[in-house]
Amino acid sequence: MKDQLRKRLASLDPMHPGVPTESVTSSSSQRLLEEIMSTPVTEQPQYRPEPKRNRWLVGVAAAAALVVAVGGAIALTGGPSGDPVAGAPPLVLNAGGEDATAMCIMFSVEELARAPLAFEGTVTTVDGDTVTLTVEEWFKGGDAEQVVLNAPQGLEALIDGFPFQVGSQYLITAYDGNVNYCGFSGVSTPEFRAAFEQAFAG
Amino acid sequence: MSSATERRDRFETIVAEVYDPLQRYLRRRASAEESGDVFSDVLLTVWRRLDEVPSDAVLPWSYGVARRTLSNHRRSAQRNLRLVQRLESERQPATDGDPADAFEETDPDLADALAGLPPADQEILRLWAWEQLEPREIAQALGSTANAVSLRLSRARKKLAESFTRQDPPPPGHIDEEPAEEQQR
Repeated sequence: MKDQLRKRLASLDPMHPGVPTESVTSSSSQRLLEEIMSTPVTEQPQYRPEPKRNRWLVGVAAAAALVVAVGGAIALTGGPSGDPVAGAPPLVLNAGGEDATAMCIMFSVEELARAPLAFEGTVTTVDGDTVTLTVEEWFKGGDAEQVVLNAPQGLEALIDGFPFQVGSQYLITAYDGNVNYCGFSGVSTPEFRAAFEQAFAG
Repeated sequence: MSSATERRDRFETIVAEVYDPLQRYLRRRASAEESGDVFSDVLLTVWRRLDEVPSDAVLPWSYGVARRTLSNHRRSAQRNLRLVQRLESERQPATDGDPADAFEETDPDLADALAGLPPADQEILRLWAWEQLEPREIAQALGSTANAVSLRLSRARKKLAESFTRQDPPPPGHIDEEPAEEQQR
């Protein structure tokens, strides 16, 4: 069944093996490779940070911090309505309004890269004070399929003033048990996502 | 990497392995022109980061570089690209835009179902069926874990199958496996 689906999908491949590509031995390929091998290797790859996230720093002082409770912290009471799928248990994040103490530091890809926990997730349910996200990609520090945010004091303005919406994608980092909400977590945009990819590349 | 010659040898060995599949990877996701630009950047990154290439996962690692390079390229050229796309669509619709378009004829139902999935699901299915990667390799290409990829892949397959079920009326006697609430849209 799986193999059949795979074969059928493969039939949609516009670059199936019958489509020719440029041969590595062609003269133009050889010229390209020679040019590349003449490039000094001390330079860094050409990905340059383009931090343009200053707007994330605005108006977040009042936002509540999300306290990360990793490791066996499966919600036993008032748990998420979304059923955890098989595999790793959901990661549960608690939102405690009193814990918003972090100062906002200027966004940079380098700073972002220091976050020990980073993922992109799609909100699957918003139920009362609980948000369940399905993890689309772990950039760092976890492998749970789902992340649950518990916010007993309300969900408004948790992440930079953006309400969580079912179906929307968010990029979230956490540091020392706190979600980095000061510009280091928020709605997933191509730009923000590129910063994550850059920060957590390789 | 002790000598310049060894470095060149290693690069040439890697290039021999990835040269063809990287071109296919890019052309599946980008126009010929964009693929060409990104392709040389990817090879340059491989050259510069030669010491980081995992010997047991050369190709998946290279796909990961290609994914990030393409993403960066698009970000920097986004305005440009939008303009080009608009011009193209004004000139003659559906020419060399998405290479997959040309193949929808062969299995339009599946192509529609695939196109209807969220981008992340589409991509994981492409990596699985087009690049013929296993979950562990997809994880390397996406910067994820094998466990997470396996779950996402099976979820994406399920969504694709469900999409079919909605498109094609079930045969007589067929019983929907989905609970009724899932069918509401």
